[in-house]
Amino acid sequence: MTGNNLADYLTLGLIMFSIGAVGVIVRRNPIVIFMCIELMLNAVNLTFLAFARFTPTTAALADRAESFMSGQMMVVFVMAVAAAEVAVGLGIIMAIYRLRNEIDIDEMNLLKG
Amino acid sequence: MGNFELIWWVLALPVIGFLIQSLLGQRIVGLFGRTYGKKVAGTLAVLPIAAAFVLGAGLTLTLLDMPATSRSVVMTLFDWITVYSISIPFEVVIDPLSMTMVLVVTGIGSLIHLYATGYMAEERDYTRFFTYLNLFIAAMLILVLGNNLAMMFIGWEGVGLCSYLLIGFWYKDIANAKAANKAFITNRVGDWGFMLGMFAIVAFLGTNADRFPTGDGRYLSFDRMLPVLASLLSENPGIATLIALLLFVGAMGKSAQFPLYNWLPDAMAGPTPVSALIHAATMVTAGVVMVNRMHVVFEFSPVASGVVAVVGTFTALFAALIAFGQTDIKKVLAYSTVSQLGYMFVACGVGAYWAGMFHVVTHAFFKALLFLGSGAVIHAMAHEQDMRWYGNLRKYIPITTATMTVGWLAIIGVPYLFAGFYSKEAIIAAALGNHHATFLGGSTEFTGWLLLVGAALTTAYMTRMTLLTFGGAQGRWQQPETYEAAHADHHAHADHGHHADHGHHAHAHHHGHAHEDPHGFFYTDEEMERREALEPHEHHHHLTPEYKPKEVPVSMWVPLAVLALLSTGGTAYFMEHHHAFQNWLYPPFGGEHGTGLTMIKGHPVIDPEAVSGHPHGMLGNKMALVGLSVLVMLIGLAYAWAVYGKRLPDKEGFDMSRWAKFRLWAMNQFGYDAFILKLLVYEGGKTVGNACAALDQKVVDGIVNLTGVVAQGLGGLARQAQTGYVRGYALVMLMGGVALLVYLVSALSGGVR
Repeated sequence: MTGNNLADYLTLGLIMFSIGAVGVIVRRNPIVIFMCIELMLNAVNLTFLAFARFTPTTAALADRAESFMSGQMMVVFVMAVAAAEVAVGLGIIMAIYRLRNEIDIDEMNLLKG
Repeated sequence: MGNFELIWWVLALPVIGFLIQSLLGQRIVGLFGRTYGKKVAGTLAVLPIAAAFVLGAGLTLTLLDMPATSRSVVMTLFDWITVYSISIPFEVVIDPLSMTMVLVVTGIGSLIHLYATGYMAEERDYTRFFTYLNLFIAAMLILVLGNNLAMMFIGWEGVGLCSYLLIGFWYKDIANAKAANKAFITNRVGDWGFMLGMFAIVAFLGTNADRFPTGDGRYLSFDRMLPVLASLLSENPGIATLIALLLFVGAMGKSAQFPLYNWLPDAMAGPTPVSALIHAATMVTAGVVMVNRMHVVFEFSPVASGVVAVVGTFTALFAALIAFGQTDIKKVLAYSTVSQLGYMFVACGVGAYWAGMFHVVTHAFFKALLFLGSGAVIHAMAHEQDMRWYGNLRKYIPITTATMTVGWLAIIGVPYLFAGFYSKEAIIAAALGNHHATFLGGSTEFTGWLLLVGAALTTAYMTRMTLLTFGGAQGRWQQPETYEAAHADHHAHADHGHHADHGHHAHAHHHGHAHEDPHGFFYTDEEMERREALEPHEHHHHLTPEYKPKEVPVSMWVPLAVLALLSTGGTAYFMEHHHAFQNWLYPPFGGEHGTGLTMIKGHPVIDPEAVSGHPHGMLGNKMALVGLSVLVMLIGLAYAWAVYGKRLPDKEGFDMSRWAKFRLWAMNQFGYDAFILKLLVYEGGKTVGNACAALDQKVVDGIVNLTGVVAQGLGGLARQAQTGYVRGYALVMLMGGVALLVYLVSALSGGVR
């Protein structure tokens, strides 16, 4: 554990999140965008875990699981939601591909006002 | 005193009759079968009115037994309207004026109901007819009995509604529906004036509420209102003129005076009993009754009285001249009614209110008689109403001839023997002798002289009608349709308002319905024929010189005989003798403050001495006026006999294009009706319509469109944000997240260091 402190994990999370965000914004391939979203979600997971790990344990809270387990639980939820999202998203991508024979999201601008 | 409660039965009986006819009528007809059903229903329609007449006569006798000073009884049924301190109860007044009208309405009403049971016997909608007729009697009784202007207004509108319903009784013919609308809409103009007059009275009294004796708040009841109004108006002659003129506008509409008279001739589209009851004897006299009831207002405004007298005179002469150009027997009588109503208003204008009411009564007798007689003639002559195709009817329908002759002699004013003489004489004497009214600063004595001219005209056109109908030869009998078909080109432009003449059977006028009837409500020609094929009474006789006119059944000639008896001099003599009728309506008491007014239990009356109408100058002798009247009557008779004594003059033959210019002009009401229609309905309506359309399209639609344009512009701006690129949305979301974060950090940084 030496050498690792909270700020390092948070910095890593920040870097991952930023990469993911930039990827979502600049990439045109929806598969890659999904990967970037996953990256952002994992950055969040990392942050959750880091906070959970570095939560100060006081005597009063020591016997209460949620004081350090709630972060871990949240990560499990995020993973489940991310899996569901990917399943739906990939389905949508497949449907679009069947409809239009391409998946370049810059071509998907039906919402243009 | 207790039996004055019976007045509620007088009011309730026609209502009960109305309910029986409307709710049970068809059932009764069905129950008693083809032969007796209509007779039973008709009897149930006549009986309530006759019973109301009997009760009314009993009440009048009770009133006669009372001293003249206390002949005014107010009966209250319930509190009707209560607003703050004002209460308007549902109350009636039993006084000479109201009881006179109750007797006329129920008496003549029951005779005409009896006549109608025969006249309408073949009608499919028999009970609908009597429903309306009974409702009319109820509304008319409310009008004459009401003890406040609000109740009078209910009756006023009620009789207008019944008039509308009955003019349009054969409503499937668009001409009748149009005539009904014309009557209703023209009356609206009058009602506008009447309502403004009422509002003016309320506003005027409202600002002077302290003048009322403290009491139960019945500020608008006549017995409370009129004395206060009298004392207030004597101080404010300008207000008196305003109120009087507004009320007179109402009277003009209901009583068909000059600017608003033109609905009455068209109202002849209704069944003849309706013309007799509503458009001759009762409803059209409502204006005269109202002026009598509100006479204090006119009393204090010589200017308004002058206007009333002059409008009445003009109407009397104008309508008499128009009557010369009419070929339809009912239209002659309609214009005669308008003319005679003019006489009544002259009487009111010159202050002889009693003479106006006297003429209302005698006119109700002889004009109802003449109308019912004309109905009998029309009945006998296969529903033909054009006098030019009559002739020699005295040979075939002697009873009708005899009774109508009595009516004719009554209206031309044969001295002493017939009713019309007495009332007309009273009016002319009052007009010549009285200086109550002033018009444009002068006396209105000239109205009396003009009325004498009018008497000559009346004699002439009524003699024309009588001679054309009962005299001459029957060689003229023929079917006008045959003639009109052959000469359609002459007829096409000849007659403007003629379309309403023939009621439901006017085949010649059915063409063109399809064009006038965009909604398909009225029958087309084919449907009309099919309907007439189904209904046996619609068959058309062919009017040829060999045709045999039939005398009317007993239910129809009994009313004729009774009315003929009333139209002779007997009744009128007793009413006129020793000023009996005058003293009954306006008992002599000696005036207060020189106004000739005094109060009987709150109802102001006029001192007859002040307005008894003694002609002066060369007419100081009463016999001189009688002589003059006889002279003008003889002039009229001589003219009519010279022209119509032998036969129909060539210039009144079948070919309208060869008519004398004057006669054509008179037939078209000197262009007045067409002018009004053009000005107010066609051209004026179009102008107003165009203005409304412009307002709607430019202003209203402009505002609506402006909101749309603004929304569109704003939306166009907002639209720019929607690029459709997912990454654009993602970027905005991210920026939003960052901004939120920055805000939170900066906001919290003070606390969490």
